[in-house]
Amino acid sequence: MLFDQGIDIPEALSGDALNIALEPEKARFNVRVKSKDVAAFKKASGFKFPVKIGATAKTGTQLISKFGPDEWVISDDAKSREKIAKKLSKLAGQFVMSATDISHRNIAFNVSGRLANEAVNIGCPLDLSLKSFPVGKATRTIFENAPIQLYRSGEDTFQIECWRSFAPYMVDFWTAFSRDIA
Amino acid sequence: MLLIHCPHCNEERPELEFAYAGEAHIVRPNEAEQAEMSDADWSKFMFIRDNIRGDHAERWWHAHGCNMFFNAIRNTVTDKFTMTYKVCQKRPTEHQIKVAKND
Ligand SMILES: [Zn+2]
Repeated sequence: MLFDQGIDIPEALSGDALNIALEPEKARFNVRVKSKDVAAFKKASGFKFPVKIGATAKTGTQLISKFGPDEWVISDDAKSREKIAKKLSKLAGQFVMSATDISHRNIAFNVSGRLANEAVNIGCPLDLSLKSFPVGKATRTIFENAPIQLYRSGEDTFQIECWRSFAPYMVDFWTAFSRDIA
Repeated sequence: MLLIHCPHCNEERPELEFAYAGEAHIVRPNEAEQAEMSDADWSKFMFIRDNIRGDHAERWWHAHGCNMFFNAIRNTVTDKFTMTYKVCQKRPTEHQIKVAKND
């Protein structure tokens, strides 16, 4: 069942040049598998684990991002949560691995529009040129003092996830930014 | 802002994503050695560092990134990173550092 995520986004943040919207509740799993087992794990699970850190694989609603040498995050719509959990706990019987349900840890924002890059860069020091941060790349990074996950789904579209308690802090920065550019 | 090359992500990333983690290549004594060690030697292992002026081999943590520890050669005078390398690799020789500087 979906519930109120408890985050209000001011109207000023839903414009043409910059639109920031709350993503619906999601299923999220942090999965760690030893490098030597990854090939067998992929075969047994059917999960399309990307090979390079920063790469993602999207199948339907499911997005798998690789954040560390042996660390992936599977995210999907909220109703897939139980199905994925079941599958992972079954796999845990066959592999030395860890799988943690972190579905409710994060809040996800969709940041889009001509000024989306700037809205990310006011708090995040990464180079967001398409050359170093192409569409489809995902990484953990930082936004001011908040650790975030950044995913670029389009040239002018980003999904940003942070821990729930940091969400109002993020919204405050964007509200200030929207006042500055108004 | 300083850019640090993470050998795991294999790209340059802003220093804000990293945390310093002290001098590199300090081997922790094994259990048997610890049992034999004097308090003075133990405190030396724990707390005494070379505090080098110049090229320093040190540990860094890509805390807000891939979450891995790695080693770096950084000049403590100029704050310039000459090279970074994985923890499993040996400390680069003076010659290797010199070559890396000319790259
Ligand atoms: Zn890294």
